[in-house]
Amino acid sequence: MQLLKKLKKGSPGWYILTLVIIFFLLLPNFNIIINLFAEVSENWEHVREYLLINYFHNTLILILGSGFLSALLGAGLAWLIIAYDFPGRRFLNWALILPLAVPPYIGAYVYAGIFNFTGPVQRLLRNYFSITIEQRYFDLMNLRGAVFIYTIFLFPYVYLMTKAFLAKQSSSLLESSRLLGKSDYSIFLKIILPLSRGAIIAGSSLVIMEVLNDYGVVKYFGISTFTTAIFNSWFGMGDLATSVRLAVTAMLLIVVILFIEKLLRGGRKYSYSTSKLRPLRRRQLSGRSKFLAMFLSYSVFTVAFIIPMFQLIYWSILSRGGNFSEVLNHALTSFFTAAGAAAIIIIGAVIVANTARMSSKLIANILGRITILGYSIPGAVIAVGILLFMLQLDLLFDYLNLYFGIETNLVLSSTLLMLIFAYTVRFLGIAFNSVDSGYDKIGESYFEAARTLGKGVTTTFFKVDLPMLKPALLSGYLLVFIEVMKELPLTLILRPFNFDTLATRAFEYANDEMIYRAADLSLVLIIFSALAIYIITHQRRRRKNAAEN
Amino acid sequence: MQLKISDLSFSYNKKEKVLNDFNLEINKGEVAALVGRSGSGKSTILRLTAGLEIPDSGRIEIAGKTVVDEQKFLAPEKRKVGMVFQDYALFPHLNVYQNISFGIDHLSKKKRKERTAELLELVNLAGFEKRYPHQLSGGQQQRIALARTLAPGPKLLLLDEPFSNLDTELRDKIRKELKSIIKEIGITTILVSHDKNDAEFMAEKEILLN
Ligand SMILES: Nc1ncnc2c1ncn2[C@@H]1O[C@H](COP(=O)(O)OP(=O)(O)OP(=O)(O)O)[C@@H](O)[C@H]1O
Ligand SMILES: [Mg+2]
Repeated sequence: MQLLKKLKKGSPGWYILTLVIIFFLLLPNFNIIINLFAEVSENWEHVREYLLINYFHNTLILILGSGFLSALLGAGLAWLIIAYDFPGRRFLNWALILPLAVPPYIGAYVYAGIFNFTGPVQRLLRNYFSITIEQRYFDLMNLRGAVFIYTIFLFPYVYLMTKAFLAKQSSSLLESSRLLGKSDYSIFLKIILPLSRGAIIAGSSLVIMEVLNDYGVVKYFGISTFTTAIFNSWFGMGDLATSVRLAVTAMLLIVVILFIEKLLRGGRKYSYSTSKLRPLRRRQLSGRSKFLAMFLSYSVFTVAFIIPMFQLIYWSILSRGGNFSEVLNHALTSFFTAAGAAAIIIIGAVIVANTARMSSKLIANILGRITILGYSIPGAVIAVGILLFMLQLDLLFDYLNLYFGIETNLVLSSTLLMLIFAYTVRFLGIAFNSVDSGYDKIGESYFEAARTLGKGVTTTFFKVDLPMLKPALLSGYLLVFIEVMKELPLTLILRPFNFDTLATRAFEYANDEMIYRAADLSLVLIIFSALAIYIITHQRRRRKNAAEN
Repeated sequence: MQLKISDLSFSYNKKEKVLNDFNLEINKGEVAALVGRSGSGKSTILRLTAGLEIPDSGRIEIAGKTVVDEQKFLAPEKRKVGMVFQDYALFPHLNVYQNISFGIDHLSKKKRKERTAELLELVNLAGFEKRYPHQLSGGQQQRIALARTLAPGPKLLLLDEPFSNLDTELRDKIRKELKSIIKEIGITTILVSHDKNDAEFMAEKEILLN
């Protein structure tokens, strides 16, 4: 009876499916941890003695710098958009999410191109103002530059989280502080920031996860981090043992970060106001403050989206005669891979979320944690775990072949299947969060009503839950679609032979200093992602309008 | 005996027991009202009866059949207990006809049509088949929810604060209608109410929780 109570209203099929999914999600991590006890190589001794401290140093600067600056930028803009009205606000409201469509490594080579000796900025200064400035002021290819790139292309995570939180707050909070004679400035510092601390930190930690995962920017800028080190030891030296050690060390770092995040967020509950309270009313800005608000938000949008887009278009025009069929080819590969992977991932996420919803709070929490685990672990680390798994499988097949004469031409190493498995491990958490918040919004009573009307869990799922979840499913699907489109490290390590996505090809061209050829590919990638963002934001708006009518 | 609850204990968490050795008997065709202060566990009793919660110990029998005890737990969809939810929980993506026929889709299409029409007649909303829940008033929504619950012919009807979402004027009207509908089909009913007057008007039997 007690066990039944924990599992509550479940049906066994759902639990079994969920267990299978969870098993596969955890598999790469187990593989890494088990291999911790394998013999160490000489190379690892060398890495540990001389290089590890450098990896830590660089990684820490990158995550602290971009985490802090994105928090500032994201929270500030969210406040501006939520609390004030000024020309262009409605557009900026969603346009400020668009920088997420630009993968940071593309942003990195675009900005490096803009600021280098032959780039437009220096040319302009030289030719029109006859100014030559010391190169080091323009050098973007260092830690500072990387922090800049991460901040402008990843701050929307904080912006989104904070905005969603503030939109739920009641206006009486703000009005009472205004009545108490507080200036807007001090309201922001003393009330809004502390209140939305949880949301800001949640957003920043997403930024940090992305930074930890990144391979493209640091590789292009020549900065050594855990991810580049894993790549080097695996690709460069074929030294799996060292990659595993590095992966474990990176995981320890992540555990510490997650712990600090929890500490900073604090255990306290935030008062989500109910729908009965009036939402924040925006204050109309005028005069100087209006222009300041417009200037700030439009400059961010310009730097983080417009300028990179124009530069890419310019390069793309310069490279006329660029290979159209190549672009089309990679675009199709990227599109179908992302569309297919996202479909598989959203199905998995729905299964886990439905099980979580039928279980006790404790089990639901554990399921949520496990699904998001993959997102907090850098792609390169997951790739190592999956490589280990594939090696074991290959051994198994060899064994089958040897002893039973079973021919298996099923070579799993580096197949599309493995790559999609890797995407699932990494991105299932994103889809799960969407579906789970969808379930939250629906509530329990429709499910319960269907049950008392004589429908089992599964029938209820197809007839009631699924149709009502549609908007959440679409958002989750598109979010995963964008992530897979942009994904680099997993794809680079695990892709099958001759398999190129827009992301991998653009990255390789840029890395080989063939920036013009990377431009077309990058543009197509960004347009796909931007479209997905447009659909997500505008479906939400449509629903909101429908609810208000 | 249509419902028999014996020595039922239940808690949402380890800290406090909501119900402790609770007993209740209701005869066939009887209308009983559960009254008690807020938080005394009235809704919880309905949820346990419907199978939406699982008791710590005790037994529930419906129409002579044990639905839950130490060994057994019958899933809510197999209990033939109808429950009208406080927020009605009409499926927003289905229209009135689809909502009412939701629980009887094992019947042939013709039978389903007849049954739905009959129920709409009963709750005085004939002709509303094509409307969606958001196109109905609060009182109409409640009556559709009742019709939907009655459609599969439950052995027991549970109503959780059926009047709480209605204003006083409507309340009187709905109260009368509800009473006559229940009498007309003679279904065994438990209703939860805050209001003494409601309970006295509707029910033959009052059960006080403390
Ligand atoms: N899902 C839940 N989790 C934890 N505790 C709960 C839950 N639902 C109810 N409770 C607690 O159980 C007790 C009984 O709740 P119940 O809803 O049955 O009361 P009620 O008599 O229906 O009250 P009301 O008249 O306000 O509707 C309350 O103390 C309540 O706080
Ligand atoms: Mg109640």
